[in-house]
Amino acid sequence: MTDFIKDPVVSLPDRMPEPVIPGDELFFTDEEKKQIETWVSRYPTADGAVMRVLWLAQEKFSFLPAEVVQLVANALDMPYAKVYGVATFYTQYFKEKKGKYVFDVCTCFSCQWCGGYDMLHYLEEKLRVHAGETTGDGLFTIQEAECLGACGSAPMLQITNGPYVHNLTREKIDALIDALREGNMPAFESVTLPQDEDELSGNRRTDVDKTTSSVTPPVSETVK
Amino acid sequence: MPKITIDNRIVEVEDGDTLLQSCLDEDLEIPHFCYHPAMSAPANCRQCLVEVGMPRVDRETRERVLDEDGNPVIDFMPKLQTSCSMKVADGMVVRSHRTSELVKRAQKDNLEFLLINHPLDCPICDQAGHCPLQNQTYKYGPEGSRFEFRKVMKPKNIELGPRVVLDGERCINCTRCTRFTQEISGSHQLTIIERGVRNYPMTPPGVVFDEPYSMNVIDICPVGALTSKDHRFKARIWEMSQTPSISTTNAKGSNCVYHVKDNLVMNVTARTNMDVNEFWLADEDRLDYRKFNENRPEGPAIGGQAADWDAAYAEAARLLQSTSGQRVFFLGSALSTTEDNYLLARLAEHLGADAPAYIPHIEAGHGDNWLRTDDRAPNTQGCERLGFSALDAEVLKSRLAGGDIDVLYVMEDDPVGEGLCELADLEGVKVIVHHHHTTNETLPAAAVAIPAAMAVETVGTFVNCDGHAQRLRPAKAIKGVNRTLAMEVGKSRADLHGTPFDRWYTESNMVDCEPGWVSIPAIAERVGLSLSYKGPRAIMAELSEDNPAFTGATYDAMGESGVRLDVTHQPDTHTQTA
Repeated sequence: MTDFIKDPVVSLPDRMPEPVIPGDELFFTDEEKKQIETWVSRYPTADGAVMRVLWLAQEKFSFLPAEVVQLVANALDMPYAKVYGVATFYTQYFKEKKGKYVFDVCTCFSCQWCGGYDMLHYLEEKLRVHAGETTGDGLFTIQEAECLGACGSAPMLQITNGPYVHNLTREKIDALIDALREGNMPAFESVTLPQDEDELSGNRRTDVDKTTSSVTPPVSETVK
Repeated sequence: MPKITIDNRIVEVEDGDTLLQSCLDEDLEIPHFCYHPAMSAPANCRQCLVEVGMPRVDRETRERVLDEDGNPVIDFMPKLQTSCSMKVADGMVVRSHRTSELVKRAQKDNLEFLLINHPLDCPICDQAGHCPLQNQTYKYGPEGSRFEFRKVMKPKNIELGPRVVLDGERCINCTRCTRFTQEISGSHQLTIIERGVRNYPMTPPGVVFDEPYSMNVIDICPVGALTSKDHRFKARIWEMSQTPSISTTNAKGSNCVYHVKDNLVMNVTARTNMDVNEFWLADEDRLDYRKFNENRPEGPAIGGQAADWDAAYAEAARLLQSTSGQRVFFLGSALSTTEDNYLLARLAEHLGADAPAYIPHIEAGHGDNWLRTDDRAPNTQGCERLGFSALDAEVLKSRLAGGDIDVLYVMEDDPVGEGLCELADLEGVKVIVHHHHTTNETLPAAAVAIPAAMAVETVGTFVNCDGHAQRLRPAKAIKGVNRTLAMEVGKSRADLHGTPFDRWYTESNMVDCEPGWVSIPAIAERVGLSLSYKGPRAIMAELSEDNPAFTGATYDAMGESGVRLDVTHQPDTHTQTA
């Protein structure tokens, strides 16, 4: 967001883009259609299922170019413009091709204070790309993100709209990149709340094995 | 009907109305941007905030609680409410900015927010002068901005479609335009993209905003974000005189406003008439105004040679009297007013000719059951109600070939251009033409050519496809002195008339033409028929008395919104639209 404050320019999307998904790949399988039907049946109108179906489309095609948005609109019998509006509203829907792993590094207040920018810059140097860009091998994309709701374990990042990596350090990032290069996605991890440790014997969740204890985050070197 | 109290004033309102609409109906202004009476209220501009209270009700007895003086105790809602989305209820008490400092402050602060990223380019903005944001900022806004950062720069000068241009920075995201395409036109060609500070309306990729009603979003845009590609930068709103009239592109007769500067029509915008076009106007009605300005004739001609008006009238009268009435063929016109057609019928009757026919202007497949019709002429219904029949091309051709016609009298139409006959067919026939344009293809055959005033220059009545009779008002002046027209120009422009920038009195763009209700009586007089009416108002008064198909269609009754004529007199020989 900092760059946007310095240079607040909103660019115009490509209004007449060339299709990138070949026509013969652009469809939902019968199984997917059945799945869509179940989602649709949960809402009073088909429009209600649009976010879930966009998500399905993104998982299938890895991002949402115009023709995929059109496919979703057709599947739900919804106006194309409305689906496009939804797709552009949420940053988690990728409108352009991203790397296999997308790092959303939180630089919002709590993470910033605890070293969010240190982590972001370390990632940028390590992968030799700027935030918003994808590495040449198409493996990693780095993005700055606003608060992801894990201030207790700041600084943190999220991998491709999936698992969080909490209490980031440079060593943790090194290990993470190595693991991802080998195709090992980190497992979901929950962090306890400090007050829980005293009062609720450490955890109020049922999946204790996936939980780590809360630690007091350090104050970032850059803000010290 | 529920009674509510607005600013200490008790008013009766319609059940189910929104608070904002009730206030507007009572002529109590509440500033607003996103609310439009024809569309849903998203309540996203936050400008129409008011304080709303309801009488306290005892939970046990369901009775209203009264205070010591016997007045109901009012509990105000803890926060300000958007009046556009608040439904009225009996006993409701409302404080607007007239009585509430809180509301005043909220409106001021809200405008400061709306203006944070709004460019201050009013001096070059087409909307300036009739811009709700500009007006309301003057009225309710803060004196300045406290915003110290760079304004967000969004895409500018983007052609959403062939007729509408977007300036993203000026947009305040009221979503009126997107709701228009979703709820009114149903084209779904616009959406708001992105979020937060980056959002603006846009077409989705691969879609062009080209629906036939696209330019309505320009009218309803409360800022200068959507402007007309055609009218952009041509004239400021205060340089033009505005005349309420009706459009002439099709048989619907949509109500519109002609914007005129120096006797040139510059722009056409929608005028509200809930009986005809509601708030909307088709793009074709808005763009088809050049015909009023271009290729207009310069005075009458006899045999292709310029002549003066008296000579032209005399020659026309001479030709009409040179043969028997049965050998004169009169063509009325669905393009000219009911009054002129009526006078022509009187002239034909006097000469013993058949009742005039009119040339149908049907373009099959053009209509859409809304504001566009297959019929591309504005007054077909008027001709039908006068008892004119649609001209059969074969009949005309065979009569011409058979030498049955000595004189062909064409009023404000173009039989050659319409393909009803060839110029060669007219050899040996004396043709009298009242013409709008020098491009009229019948002109080369004309023995007498009489320039006719067009719909924006005359006074008259068109009857639309649904039998709605509506008045035309003169928007621009023509050459020559005509008391009736001069008075009507003054009246039709009313308070709006008189901008010093509209030099309507200079002759430069005046067309040397006459309305039919001047030229036809002039010719009639010379063949011994007195058609001395005190202008078209008297003609219509007589028609509404004598002809049951026009009962009630007096000028006073028609006013600005027209009169729905009796359907039983609607001729069934002619189906109007798809």
